[in-house]
Amino acid sequence: MYSQLFHIFRNTPLGRETFLQSLYFCKQVQATPVVYIPEFIKFLMYFDNDVVQVDLDDSYLTDPATAEAHTRELLDSYNLKPKYFAPKNYTASTLPDIPTNFDFMCCPRSISDLSSKIGLGYLGPRVRRIVTSARFPVLVTSPVFKPWTRLAVFFGGSANALNALKLGLRIARQTGAPLDIFTQAEKHSRKDYEAIIRDHHLEEELERLQQRWIFFDKGAFETNLYEVPHDALVILGAYGHGLIRNLVFGSKMEKIQSTIPNNLLIVGPHYTAGI
Amino acid sequence: MRSPISWRSPATWYFFRSDDRLLLIVAGAIVGICSGMAAVALSQALIAVLGWLHPYRTYGWAFLLPAVGAALSSLFLNKIMREGAGHGVPEVIYSVSRYGGLLRFRSSFSRLISSFLTIGSGGSAGPEAPIVMSGAAIGSNVARLFGLNDRQRVTLVGCGAAGAISAIFNAPIAGLIFAMEVILGEWAAANLIPIAIAAVAGTEISHFLQGKQIPFSHHQFDIGSIDLLACIGLAVFTALASIMLTRAIRMIHHKSDEISLPAWVKAACGGCAVGLIGLYLPMVLGEGYHAIREMMEGQFAPGIGLVCLAVLAKIIATSLTLGSGGSGGIFAPCLVIGSFAGLAYHRVLVYLWPGVEWVQEGCFVLLGMAGLVSGILQAPLTGIFLIVEITGGYDVILPLLIVSSVSTSLCHYFEPASFYFKDLVEKGQLLRPGTDARVLADLEVRELLETDCITVHTDMLLRNFVDIVKQSRRNLFPVEDDQTGHFKGMIYMDDIRPYLFDPLMYDTVLVGQLMNARVETVSPDDDVVEVLERMDADRLFNMPVVANHQFLGMLSKSTLLDQYRKELMVQTYHLNR
Repeated sequence: MYSQLFHIFRNTPLGRETFLQSLYFCKQVQATPVVYIPEFIKFLMYFDNDVVQVDLDDSYLTDPATAEAHTRELLDSYNLKPKYFAPKNYTASTLPDIPTNFDFMCCPRSISDLSSKIGLGYLGPRVRRIVTSARFPVLVTSPVFKPWTRLAVFFGGSANALNALKLGLRIARQTGAPLDIFTQAEKHSRKDYEAIIRDHHLEEELERLQQRWIFFDKGAFETNLYEVPHDALVILGAYGHGLIRNLVFGSKMEKIQSTIPNNLLIVGPHYTAGI
Repeated sequence: MRSPISWRSPATWYFFRSDDRLLLIVAGAIVGICSGMAAVALSQALIAVLGWLHPYRTYGWAFLLPAVGAALSSLFLNKIMREGAGHGVPEVIYSVSRYGGLLRFRSSFSRLISSFLTIGSGGSAGPEAPIVMSGAAIGSNVARLFGLNDRQRVTLVGCGAAGAISAIFNAPIAGLIFAMEVILGEWAAANLIPIAIAAVAGTEISHFLQGKQIPFSHHQFDIGSIDLLACIGLAVFTALASIMLTRAIRMIHHKSDEISLPAWVKAACGGCAVGLIGLYLPMVLGEGYHAIREMMEGQFAPGIGLVCLAVLAKIIATSLTLGSGGSGGIFAPCLVIGSFAGLAYHRVLVYLWPGVEWVQEGCFVLLGMAGLVSGILQAPLTGIFLIVEITGGYDVILPLLIVSSVSTSLCHYFEPASFYFKDLVEKGQLLRPGTDARVLADLEVRELLETDCITVHTDMLLRNFVDIVKQSRRNLFPVEDDQTGHFKGMIYMDDIRPYLFDPLMYDTVLVGQLMNARVETVSPDDDVVEVLERMDADRLFNMPVVANHQFLGMLSKSTLLDQYRKELMVQTYHLNR
């Protein structure tokens, strides 16, 4: 299957780390990296029911003369063919439109705010908007490049979590990486979760690919997260519930992203690509 | 258990599902009220600030006021709101054309504030385009809140524009027509009712907040045959002014783009130049409605020369304000330039033929406004109904029809695209619903892929290939490299037919020897319009789609036309309702 990952290149050491994460991901899932070297500080992404303006951090325009050479060098090191994106449509003369039909997009934890803000527990507002609106999963990278060798899927039984599980299974098939499933038992028992998987005919494939299903039936969720392997790509659903429910009960995604430093592949509520 | 009512998407409520027009009517009324309130807020704010600054206009340093306003407006738009500058209306049309009317939430207030700064300080621009932009953005975001589809969102964008124009001019019919003629570019019954409701809501909220006033007072005109004849000359005059204004704004805009100075400095320079013009000809400053009222009342004292100079000065001032980066629209400047043009023309007629009993000059002021609006927007109905409504009478309908239609036709001859459409047409972005370009723009190569082809390998023997041919229903076969899986070429049945009937060849010829290696390929990211052009140019009916050297599927003209028809039916479905 032909898939593409969209990456906005930042010509800085931090940007290099993010780009290396993208390239590694592409190599693993056999996706083509589509590299955008921004000429303008802002761009628009028109999703199905939302338009997101991304105002990039100024560091994205650092030394544009060397940006392409730097990307080529890194692409060559991964033996990947360069594919550069040049905007065709402009909403205003300095406001290009970026297509939204990619299969993946890579974002650092923030693309609009100063890179000094990037840290555990911080996810920029634009990254959140993209995750909420996109049909594709968003690869939120850790600040320093670290290859992942396993997959960890968080499965809480919701529709979004089910999509995350399907994506995890697909990547496990493609990469051959062992897949762990993590579930924090709340109101339901393990049998209920198994029933959901059975209802969606994922039982057989899960048996074939799954290495472990780690079921936390006691302890705080944040504490249990220590069990997540340090070298795993964490796949999870996000923003499946309403704002009020998240405010009252908290969001699992927020707890995960503020506790573990792994690379995250986040599936939003509109995710449809490759299901 | 799922809640029976989804508060996040009212479109799924039973009440609205029975007829989606009910939902659009309710949402349209909400949008009309909100955009009407935005229009009143800007209008009242402008009246207040222009009144407050009026006593200072006599000072020598007053020429700096428009410069300060334009600089602040540019800084606000570019640094605080981070919006790309523009006149607003083309952005709305672009969004309707390409993205189902999706507009940023920030656009619902950003242009109001920036145009308040530009116009309030004396910049020569109008508040209408920013209000249209604001109303359209309100419509778009209400649609997002209600979880509406593209088609419904576009209707609400039209509702926002109609509500805004209706409220600011107290002209619901002009608002309705402007939304249909300029913003949506189609006359669909499904759009008509919600937009009419929004126009009425916008007008009523304006009545409620600022009274039932019409912008310009109504007068009775006794129009004779000779006046009707003279209207043709006026139409030519206003068409000329329209073309000059369009070209001047674009020229200054392009020149400004070439100068490598910060945007706010360029806007300040433009504002400064406008301020200097305003020192000698104060009637060119601001929106200019006061001057129009004086002209219509017959109280505008300056002579022919000064009025002609005012036409030119207002064109230059508007071009400097908008071309250098100030925020605002061309609607109000069009009305002012049109009224100056009408007055100048009338006075020239009276001067040349003093014995003829001409109609009062207020009538030609009205006609001049209609001629300029119709010419620059190339929207004659908007021009006609706007003037009829803002003056409160149908007395001048006959000359209005003449001036508007002649002016529109002349402008269309010299400038085939209107001011709002010109940039979009040049970039190929004006995609009106149901047109060839729009249908093709909504199709992607990925969705047209035919994946029922059987791929064969280069080192496959002809004997094995013949077996595959027997199973296949297609007469073309993509060839891949056995080792790498890379696409190598195509085998077309017509090319290899002689070999198929010669069994001696079966064990001696390989597929790689038979294939056509010089095949035109398509990438899944290619533009369908370009692919179709290539197919037409090379007389191709099928093209392989290849990415990363991998064969993904075939793209055929028949599938493309099949999808084209389906897309056309989707886009024009509402027209037949």
